[in-house]
Amino acid sequence: MSTSSAVPASLVRRRIARIPLGLLIPFAVVFVLFFLGPFLYALWLSFFVESGDKSVFVGLQNYVVAWQDTEFWTSFLRVAWYGVTAVVVMLVFGLGLSLLLDSPFARTKTLFRLVYFLPYAVPGVIAALMWGFLYSPQLNHLIGALSAFNGGHAVNLLSSGTLLYAIVNMAAWGGTGYTMTIYFASLTSIPVELYEAARLDGASEWQIARMIKIPMIRSTILMTVVLSLIGSLQLFNEPYVLKSITDVPWNYTPNLEIFNMAFTYGNFTYSATLSILLAVTTFILSLLFMLVTSETRTRRSKAPVVEAAAARPTTDHQGARPIQIGVDA
Amino acid sequence: MTSTSAARRLGVTPQFQRDRHAKGAGHKGTTSTIITMLLLILMAVYFLTPLWWLLVSTTKSTNQLYNSQMFWFTGKSNLFYNIGWLGSYQGGVFWRWVLNSVLYAGIAAALATMISAMAGYLIAKYAFRGKSALSMTVLGALMVPTAAMTIPVFLVVKDLGLLNTPIAVILPMLFNPFGVYFMMVYIREAMPSELLDAGRIDGANDYGIFFRIGMPLIRPGVVTLFLISFVGAWNNFSLPLVMLTNTNLYPVTLGLQIWSANLQSAGAGQPLYPLIVIGAFISIVPMLVLFPIFRKYIVSGIALGSVKS
Repeated sequence: MSTSSAVPASLVRRRIARIPLGLLIPFAVVFVLFFLGPFLYALWLSFFVESGDKSVFVGLQNYVVAWQDTEFWTSFLRVAWYGVTAVVVMLVFGLGLSLLLDSPFARTKTLFRLVYFLPYAVPGVIAALMWGFLYSPQLNHLIGALSAFNGGHAVNLLSSGTLLYAIVNMAAWGGTGYTMTIYFASLTSIPVELYEAARLDGASEWQIARMIKIPMIRSTILMTVVLSLIGSLQLFNEPYVLKSITDVPWNYTPNLEIFNMAFTYGNFTYSATLSILLAVTTFILSLLFMLVTSETRTRRSKAPVVEAAAARPTTDHQGARPIQIGVDA
Repeated sequence: MTSTSAARRLGVTPQFQRDRHAKGAGHKGTTSTIITMLLLILMAVYFLTPLWWLLVSTTKSTNQLYNSQMFWFTGKSNLFYNIGWLGSYQGGVFWRWVLNSVLYAGIAAALATMISAMAGYLIAKYAFRGKSALSMTVLGALMVPTAAMTIPVFLVVKDLGLLNTPIAVILPMLFNPFGVYFMMVYIREAMPSELLDAGRIDGANDYGIFFRIGMPLIRPGVVTLFLISFVGAWNNFSLPLVMLTNTNLYPVTLGLQIWSANLQSAGAGQPLYPLIVIGAFISIVPMLVLFPIFRKYIVSGIALGSVKS
């Protein structure tokens, strides 16, 4: 897919000198105003502290403080662990469901695909409110029944020990259908002849799934996994919503600390510092991932190409939902 | 890239292959079929349960929410009472939130899609100095989630004096590197350069070619990106959370969250639960109803191949 072949010679010759820049200007403007500008401005602010109504230049002091802010890095590890858990759940169920739907044994596939993908249409905040109700022992009597498994003690699904997993469940509810959709799209691109050949050789459906299907969509799986992990670092909405019904520490996740640093404590320069750290860390992790996968892909260049792009462009990213190289809007 | 593979990427052709595939082995194993279907149904139940609970709960009063069978309707339906209450509570602000959501998401998605199509077209169809730097910028911006940029964007919007305006919520959502990337890939595959050349020979200028010849060719891609962007903007929460303090400007996600938070902290007690339940239900129903129609476009969008050059 070289670019040059897509552009006819006539266009190339004429355009180098004079391209219709008007097509680019709107994007350039929003890029500068809402990405580059804010980044540089936050970077600038991160060299100051506010004392009284004055800003004092302090060099890298905010970064030194951030480096020693163990709770910030703890929250980083917390969301990383959350990401691993959520990704494993979504991977296992998303892949399982897509393989089941792609097997010859499934009926009314379209209906199931629709049902599994339905939570995608529910805003993360609404989903969190809904699950919040369902986690409440007063409203959900099934939770009372769970105490039987807890030696008769009342079960609190939102206690500090289980809160993270309560959020993982929200993530799985909202995101499994999404990963399933990506895997299913990827599976449908595998040439059917491969299965026919395998069946002639006496392979079972299980063997076909294990030996052909999963290896063929390996790079798609890798991409969804890594992108979900990176997206998980942004977790914000679910803990933010849950804090109104249970105890959620103000710095439970990096984004929650960034938010509260600005709006609860009014420390905008430190909030900007942490934002820069989070953005840069996420960028570096994404970059590493791109390099690793492009290497993997070059090595496997004979394999069929259709990769489901794991971009989840849509939801507000602070979510527990998976896959977010995308953007709001 | 031929148009066939573009079609395959967009999920158009595989259908007949699936059918062949299914017939090829359909006669095997009823046990396998039963187990497969049981597993599929079990998972369907998991995904539908919260939505079913929400639907059932819209018909209940506070008392019934606490004291009735949670997954089934009770004798007397409070649905219409709840709807009326929702419409009058705090001067009917809920419907205003819904309207705000529609406006913010509609305007942001339409403009972001247009901006993306224009920039994507330029990158896909023109050769110029700085082109690779431009594509790298788009890809690089894709790797920084907007969530990490919320506070920096807030600080800029604050200094521009735009806090507490609809613009503060709409404008930042116009920066959508995914949209540009999507359009770049899509246009490369779906817009034959020959047709554009024909327009050139007929004497149309660059903008005329894009808007009159190019745009009609990429209509499915435009619809897809609009829908994906609309869902994203509709679901957005953190941006309005930091930008708005005027309740009249809230989108419905933020409004309901604030109700729920106030309800808990103010000790207003449980009587407001039905409002949140019916509000949440009403805010997701349009999406759920339209979803079967839109799904095809959205799925083709997220499945569009990730192409690297």
